[in-house]
Amino acid sequence: MGDAIVGVVANPLSGRDIRRLTARASVFPTAEKANMIQRMLTAFHAVGVHRVLLSTDLGGISAAVFRAIGRRRAQDGGWPEVEFLDGQPIRQTAQDTLDAVRRMVTAGARVIVCLGGDGTARVTASAAGDVPMLALSTGTNNAFPAVREATIAGLAAGLVATGAVPADGVVTRAKMLEARVGDRAETALIDVAVSTQRHVGARAVWDPATLTQLFCAFAEPDVIGLSSILGQLSPVARHEPYGVTARLAPQAPAQVLAPIAPGLVMLVGVAEIGRMHPGSVHAVDARAGVIAVDGERELTFEPGERPTVRLRPDGPRCVDVPAVLAASARLGLLRRPSHGPAWY
Amino acid sequence: MTETAEQKALTREQLLSAYRMMRAIREFEERVHAEFATGEIPGFVHLYAGEEASAAGVCSHLDDRDTIASTHRGHGHCIAKGVDIGEMMAEIYGRKTGSCHGKGGSMHIADLSKGMLGANGIVGGGPPLICGTALAAKIKGTGGVGVAFFGDGASNQGTTLESMNLAAVWNLPAIFVAENNGYAETTSSTWSVASDNIADRAAAFGMPGVIVDGFDFFAVHEAAGEAIARAREGGGPTLLEMKFTRYFGHFEGDQQTYRAGEVQHARAKLDCLKRFAARATETGELTRSDLDAVDAEVAGMIDRAVTDAKAAPPPVEADLLTDVYVRY
Repeated sequence: MGDAIVGVVANPLSGRDIRRLTARASVFPTAEKANMIQRMLTAFHAVGVHRVLLSTDLGGISAAVFRAIGRRRAQDGGWPEVEFLDGQPIRQTAQDTLDAVRRMVTAGARVIVCLGGDGTARVTASAAGDVPMLALSTGTNNAFPAVREATIAGLAAGLVATGAVPADGVVTRAKMLEARVGDRAETALIDVAVSTQRHVGARAVWDPATLTQLFCAFAEPDVIGLSSILGQLSPVARHEPYGVTARLAPQAPAQVLAPIAPGLVMLVGVAEIGRMHPGSVHAVDARAGVIAVDGERELTFEPGERPTVRLRPDGPRCVDVPAVLAASARLGLLRRPSHGPAWY
Repeated sequence: MTETAEQKALTREQLLSAYRMMRAIREFEERVHAEFATGEIPGFVHLYAGEEASAAGVCSHLDDRDTIASTHRGHGHCIAKGVDIGEMMAEIYGRKTGSCHGKGGSMHIADLSKGMLGANGIVGGGPPLICGTALAAKIKGTGGVGVAFFGDGASNQGTTLESMNLAAVWNLPAIFVAENNGYAETTSSTWSVASDNIADRAAAFGMPGVIVDGFDFFAVHEAAGEAIARAREGGGPTLLEMKFTRYFGHFEGDQQTYRAGEVQHARAKLDCLKRFAARATETGELTRSDLDAVDAEVAGMIDRAVTDAKAAPPPVEADLLTDVYVRY
């Protein structure tokens, strides 16, 4: 099996921003994030992962896992060896996720599981390179990460990491968007929105009246977030090779009710819907403002900077959990020899 | 529909006022730090430098209807709520011209005429007070809110948790601002706060809990704006957790052997004043000379406050029993 190493990065701050206040978004407790990691460790062990690299944090997640390892009894069953990626300063910013993912890639992780919302998945994807990632939802806006039982995700990640299920057909490459302002760039996994707001502020976008343009790598009708605006008007699936863009204005001819964030179903005006083809560069029209990636304000721009957005086909490689477990069933990977009389 | 905090762009005057507020707090604290070392200031002082965006981002939404309760680290809250800086400095020097006639000192600066219920030497002493003022505002229908600032240490106190429960049960226009600077005196909050994030506790009281980058004025201003607007409209209490670092020790004289490096990093990379100045000039909303003018004005104001305080008389024996008893 070689080095069946899995990296797990968990964002202690996911599910904590202003959307708790503006939209009654859910709170994802630290204890549950730590429990999810422990359930994954059990699953990893069951399918032969022997080493796990775990991010460290000041939010109490890695500390809870560390304590659990110390308290574990023999009858609780085995866990893989867990290496805590400590020794680097913890800034309590996205930099911590970047640092951890880079270390996992360097250390030869075969799969990187990330626990967070769209923001955490976006940051993980930007550093994971060609290592397959599996994004599990513990955040606010979850268009990209799946809401899925961690044990199942752990089995899938483990089966890919050990090579028991070959990556062909179960690891697929996602699209992504790149927003560029001069030499500053940010990637997005789902959407890029242009706001006339001048400051990054509390980051989240919860008022569509401030938006002038929207670019979506995919816009699925049943997905939460800004991409839902186009998900109802011009749906594009994750696997389709193109994206979709539009102009937004409160008085625009097409009006749509869109679930732009958890707890917020807003009326949005839409005009000039168009396709985005991979590689083609789209100009941002606003003179000055801020660009939100996957629903969070990140890049400010001033008059004369003329930002651009393009769709890139070379997004992160993602583990398709249902496909992995279907392959496992087909190959009989979780079957074991019977000890007694056959029942069937 | 009311305008959201996100939509509401700050005017030039509001930006200048916010910068003046933060600069005044910084200058005040840096000066007290220097003056305390001379031995002229009696008692203890706990300095707020580094945390300015919290006081300014929250208090810039408040008006005469509103009350705030502060902490032992209260100078920033006092300045942001409009307490006279000269009277504050005189109070710290223990002079008769001080806001409490020189009998309170740093930890008891109060000015009820400004809705400032007082700095507070009792850790966790503030939250119960604002439940009272928030209840009064609710009964009288003034639209006012009560804001309690408290630290990560106070977040573990029964008084704070009881107040949050009461505010939720009575649906009070109360805002709980947890200023998590990482240490309760010398004890790390990552060790002493069981939920790790103070904001997480809000869920147990059925109120929103939000983590805010406490070094970023714009982030604080937006989050506080939403929370305060919601409270004014009858939406109930909110818990905001500011994460940041204090630049000085717990008190002046603290050797700070429990931490290393983080203050230099914060001063260089995260500082609220530097970030505000960079951002507001980048957008062209303010110019460097606007900011320089504020800096000069504030420096002069703090200089005068110190000179006046040093020249002012101390209380005399005849003042001993004044302001002590109240006739109901």
